[in-house]
Amino acid sequence: MPAAISYRPRRLSRVTDRVMRLALWGLALAFIAVLAAFVGAILKQGWPVLNLGFLTRMPETLDAGGGIKPEIFNSLYLVALSLAISLPIGLGAGIYMAEYAGQGRILRFLRLCIETLAATPSIVLALFGMIVFVQMMGWSFSIRSGAVTLALLNIPVITRVTEVSLLGVPRELKEASYGLGATRLQTILKVALPYAATGILTGLVLTAGRAFGESAILVFTAGTNTSQTFPDFRLTVPGETLSVHLWYVTSDGTLPDAREIAAGTAAVMIVVLLVLNLSVRLLDRFIRRRTR
Amino acid sequence: MPDAPDTLLDAPPCASDPAREDLPLETLPKEPAFRHSRLQRLADRWSHLLFLACGLLVVALIGGILYFLAARGAGAFLPLAGNTDKVLTLREVFLSADWDPNSGKFGILPFIAGSLSVTGLALLIAAPAGILTGVFIAKMAPGWMKTLMRQVMDLLVGIPSVVYGIFGLMVVLPWVSGKWLSDSPAAGFAVSAAILAVMIVPTIVSLSTDAFESLPLSLEEGSQALGSTRWQAIWHVLIPAARPRLLTATVLGLGRAIGEAMAIQMVIGNNPQWIALMRGATDQTPILRFLFTPAATLTTELVQELPNTAAGSTWNNLLFAMGLLLYLMTMGIILATRRLGRQRNA
Repeated sequence: MPAAISYRPRRLSRVTDRVMRLALWGLALAFIAVLAAFVGAILKQGWPVLNLGFLTRMPETLDAGGGIKPEIFNSLYLVALSLAISLPIGLGAGIYMAEYAGQGRILRFLRLCIETLAATPSIVLALFGMIVFVQMMGWSFSIRSGAVTLALLNIPVITRVTEVSLLGVPRELKEASYGLGATRLQTILKVALPYAATGILTGLVLTAGRAFGESAILVFTAGTNTSQTFPDFRLTVPGETLSVHLWYVTSDGTLPDAREIAAGTAAVMIVVLLVLNLSVRLLDRFIRRRTR
Repeated sequence: MPDAPDTLLDAPPCASDPAREDLPLETLPKEPAFRHSRLQRLADRWSHLLFLACGLLVVALIGGILYFLAARGAGAFLPLAGNTDKVLTLREVFLSADWDPNSGKFGILPFIAGSLSVTGLALLIAAPAGILTGVFIAKMAPGWMKTLMRQVMDLLVGIPSVVYGIFGLMVVLPWVSGKWLSDSPAAGFAVSAAILAVMIVPTIVSLSTDAFESLPLSLEEGSQALGSTRWQAIWHVLIPAARPRLLTATVLGLGRAIGEAMAIQMVIGNNPQWIALMRGATDQTPILRFLFTPAATLTTELVQELPNTAAGSTWNNLLFAMGLLLYLMTMGIILATRRLGRQRNA
């Protein structure tokens, strides 16, 4: 380091530099403030409503005092079903892209398709699901229509995360596997996939969070009603989820306590997502510790 | 390994040989030195078809969405079988701002203009804020702040759109109308765009952080060695150097914004006749009228009217055509980012 700076920027430049540095810090802090205000406001509005009764009662259609018990169940059920459909497909497509597609035109085209599907607005997927599953297949508004259409939202994310995780598997591991005489399939299934599993799992939790919050798709495929029995595992009944319920009670406006129910539902969703986020972080830390 | 079978000696040389490091792994042992069971050989030979099928399913989906939306949307313009309702011309749909379905007027320009307005406004906020935050995270923030900002962005992107919507409905709308509009309703482009901006900013931040982090350090060092301040280096060197990727980030943000439906539907006011209403309210300044008149977009009209229109009616078919329009816009956006990426590599 030189003892003295031989050139000093002009005074104006120095002032601008300092002002912009402060401004950028301010901008970053503003985002933190927005997030804090957001989560704080949602939890504050929802807190008075949140109690065991709200979580364990059936919803009302006309009177005040309804709960969200079946909506919680439907949310979890639909997320699980949609993941069960999209996981094998996403894994398969991801394995193909990372291990078989090479570097040529096929890979580029597949990437383009995955990117397009990932960028497709969920309302467009909803229209597709409505035409194909609700109307053509005659499944009407049901859990199965919702689960299959929701899977379309998950597939590109799972594919991408599988591909990236597999590409991160060290070359030496695969070489060792081939060296021991394993076939390509054995190497993928028994060496590469287990190594990539934690990365894929992280992506899977994030996908679950996205599916949990999705509403546009489910309004038009799983419907805005729910079965009157609980728990109802049938695939043919309508299955309103938490996010759909939140939207429906506010836009429908027949419930006298729609506002409270929406606030309570939003608070439940925020809590669930915070927990999911925390688990992703813990998973991530686990991966780092293992790879170090 | 002392008791390895002799045949292993005939295997290709190990790839840790530096001269072979860059060969694709698949060119190495095609045929293992010992024979696997018949089942395993069959599985190895055919399994890739299964994986390929998964990939092809995605390709088929892209085509399938296009086909089914087009097939339904075409019903609004062509006298197809089972289509008993009125048939429209492209001109009276895409070049008309006259929307009054009950008297057979189906001009969708108000929705297109609404989508473009709200997306444009949101980008006006989110692009500069996102890019500057990206610079901050990549080049200025200390380590703990980097981590914190990444977590904040992760949380913002994970919040469901209906929760953004309910926040807008219960917190932002009353606050804006009480504070600035002397209690007249605040629904419209301004609040929708503000919420949309928060929703798309994480995308722009994370992509522009990557863009700045991938720039060679020599750019910054050279600029500062010539005597520029930190900010001058950022403004005159780093941002221009990262421009193609910053543009990609903004375009992807645009893509997210234009397709967002539920959050906006809850705060925009859902008024397809917004242009007339805006013209009529002459007691306010034009900019206030633009920002706070209840309006509608392509996506909000879909959410609003899809449950209320009969399948097969002109109106219903037209909604699918609007969905197709959104889908084509997405495709255009993805292709645009591809082109930007190619410029970067050239």
